[in-house]
Amino acid sequence: MSDQEQQPTDAPEPRGAGLEQPEIEHRPRWRETLSVLMSNRLAAVGLVVLVVMVVTAILGHRLAPYALDAQDLTRRFDPPSADHWFGTDDLGQDVFSRVVIGARSSLLVAGVSVGISMVVGTLLGLLAGYRGGWMDSTLMRTMDVLFAFPVVLLAIALVAVFGPSLRNTMLAIAVVFTPIFARVVRGSVLSVREQLYVRAVRSLGAGDLRIVLRHVLPNVAAPVLVQTSLSLAFAILTEAALSYVGVGVQPPTPAWGSMLSDAQRYMAQGWWLSVFPGLAIFVTVMSFNLLGDGLRDALDPQQRSIIEARGAGAKDGDA
Amino acid sequence: MRRRSLVPIVVVALGLAACNGGEEVDLGDAADDEALDDVEDAPDDDPEDDPDADPDEAAEGGTLRAAIGGDPDQLNPHTTTSSFAFTVLENVYDTLVEPGDDLTMEPALAESWEVSDDLLTWTFELRDGVSFHDGSELTADDVVASYEFIAAEGDNAFRLDPVESFEAVDDATVEISLERPAPNLLEQLGAFKGMAIAPAEAIDAGTLDDEPVGTGPFSFVSFTPGDSVEIERYDDYWGGTAAIDGVHFQVIPDPGVKLTNLETGEVDWIDSVPPEQVETLQDLDDVEVGQVAGNDYHYLALNHEVEPFDQVEVRQAIAYALDIATITEAAQFEAATPNETAIPETSFWYFDHERFGTDPDQAQQLLDEAGVEEGEITIDLMVTNEFPETVTAAEVISSQLGEVGIGVDIRTEDFSTWLADQGDGDFDGFVLSWIGNIDPDDFYYAQHHSEGINNFQGFADDEVDQLLDDAREETDEDTRKDLYDQAAERIVDQASYIYFYNSDIIEAWAPNVSGYETRPDQATRFRGVSLED
Repeated sequence: MSDQEQQPTDAPEPRGAGLEQPEIEHRPRWRETLSVLMSNRLAAVGLVVLVVMVVTAILGHRLAPYALDAQDLTRRFDPPSADHWFGTDDLGQDVFSRVVIGARSSLLVAGVSVGISMVVGTLLGLLAGYRGGWMDSTLMRTMDVLFAFPVVLLAIALVAVFGPSLRNTMLAIAVVFTPIFARVVRGSVLSVREQLYVRAVRSLGAGDLRIVLRHVLPNVAAPVLVQTSLSLAFAILTEAALSYVGVGVQPPTPAWGSMLSDAQRYMAQGWWLSVFPGLAIFVTVMSFNLLGDGLRDALDPQQRSIIEARGAGAKDGDA
Repeated sequence: MRRRSLVPIVVVALGLAACNGGEEVDLGDAADDEALDDVEDAPDDDPEDDPDADPDEAAEGGTLRAAIGGDPDQLNPHTTTSSFAFTVLENVYDTLVEPGDDLTMEPALAESWEVSDDLLTWTFELRDGVSFHDGSELTADDVVASYEFIAAEGDNAFRLDPVESFEAVDDATVEISLERPAPNLLEQLGAFKGMAIAPAEAIDAGTLDDEPVGTGPFSFVSFTPGDSVEIERYDDYWGGTAAIDGVHFQVIPDPGVKLTNLETGEVDWIDSVPPEQVETLQDLDDVEVGQVAGNDYHYLALNHEVEPFDQVEVRQAIAYALDIATITEAAQFEAATPNETAIPETSFWYFDHERFGTDPDQAQQLLDEAGVEEGEITIDLMVTNEFPETVTAAEVISSQLGEVGIGVDIRTEDFSTWLADQGDGDFDGFVLSWIGNIDPDDFYYAQHHSEGINNFQGFADDEVDQLLDDAREETDEDTRKDLYDQAAERIVDQASYIYFYNSDIIEAWAPNVSGYETRPDQATRFRGVSLED
């Protein structure tokens, strides 16, 4: 999202007007992207669901009909009813309230960890791709080492070392996801670096920092954006996996993954214990994926023209 | 408030071994169903067995397929600490004496014993005609070698703490000299198979880790780590030959999978049932559930070396604020009995004592006296998902303490980290359980004596130390019980531990298994078991 904000700042550009042509296109581009995106129905659905999820996460406790510590052993394993839409769990707690409050843990962890890894990964990728040489080798080999571990395993190891807590869960996922961004960005930078317009600004005497910020970064923004939405989906799953094995968000704070893991014990007592948190994870991850796919299509010039053509054709067909 | 939910156990007249040593008549000789017949393939490495087993080869009894929840780390009774190992070894080894049905010590390898007037010399007469699985005769030297090994190394050395020396007077007589009277010596020697008697030769050679050799009803065949353990009937067992051919122990860690395997007939017996499943199981025809009140106790320990838990008022306030009946029900469903002390109601040593009950007002008052402001205390409470009931208990504790303004930060760790943190004192509090034993010394000394090896909470109280030391040497049973009652009262009052409940032992088996009984000491004895169609 921060990339979108960055781009408008490109506009007031006093010098070298002739060279700014690619950026003149920028301003309308993100709006155009959004409209193309919204014309993709699946992506639009994904976006709407995510907005609902984020609002739920923010309001959390206020939306939940029952307090977090409202335990009532006389009501354990009550099936879904008007009082308890998603039924109650082994401690007689309202599952709907826990799913709603759990949205906060899940989305917070995903948002913060992907945010960190995006920023750090992008910086490392820019540095490695633009500088090249030993810097590139050192950074990318380090990333390769991190990349070599299975994502969940590395995250579990990190949390095990630093102790389970919300903060450490976020940091662990951030560390695990950083190499992905670094690689994506470095790849794009390598190609952008050799573009004619970059060489042109350089020959006009522009400094590295300026070249990177003004000319390289905006051009790698698209893949980063796509990667971000896909990573958010994976981060939700990773958080769920960490909570599932008990090293993620700590009770009594609910998280979808830990609810699912608790539910496993009580499969015979109530299907609703596992179905609803599972559904929440599924819907959220699905939405991020739909949005990510939509973004990729919308930001890819070739794909975009196809979509536009198809969209136009579909409208004609409807008419 | 005290509730007992003893479900009728499938009590079967235990075929406790006809002592004439003759061929045991087998019931249900056709029970060779899907028996895993690998047993028969095992190389017969002891020819001396054969004369007795002769042609008719003790009619087919079938192999019992038992599921255990974890892998035995190894099968040397003197050095293993794994409860899964003991599930197996219970059937392979014997001790000098062993707990009977009422948990008092009865003759096993020792036929009789005498105690000198000064209570310092115990003389055991060994049973005649007992042989090890390798064919050698049991002699007093084997007993001495076993005890000397245990006393020298291993986690069970403390059981022989009062012993000065062991002596083999003749082949069938062992004399144990004590430094101080030990009224619980028989319990220490016989309450569990960590005190097993093994052949002196094997102990010296150090081969017991790989090749267990005991005197028990079954002999060891094979151990595939992570998968299974195989034992077969020992035909020369002194207590009468077992009815079944052998036992195949399959390792199945997941409780749900284990239960499914029992329901679908893949296994005949499982070593535990999650408490939440008991109710469902009782309605099923194809599963028998054995449930008895056990000796295990679950508790909350607060770190007495961390402020403000060093103040007894704060610990007592927490005890008042907690409702242990609710904690019990939440964590164990109907399969436990709330108890404010450690020793269960079923024991002679039980001390009926209700010190705190549930009284949030009293808790508040004590907190005020201790000068603790509302919201000032947050307990860093350590639990482990190895034992999910600790996590559940912690959630309830968190909710209950919230009512008196005490916060709880639950920290779930894997068990090895948990143990390390416990050792380092890196906690404000933790929830766990101890496997209860028979003698009260095992319930209190290591946990609450200031010198106790398991006193991780850092409790130090001169009165309790004195009582526990005195009780160790007191030989009059009633006086001894009185000392332990006083110690328990003080331990509870000072909230060294805040006790919750004694959990039941729950096992389950298929209806065709007869002659098995779930025991409060968790001894899994398969010698009286037979399989029917």
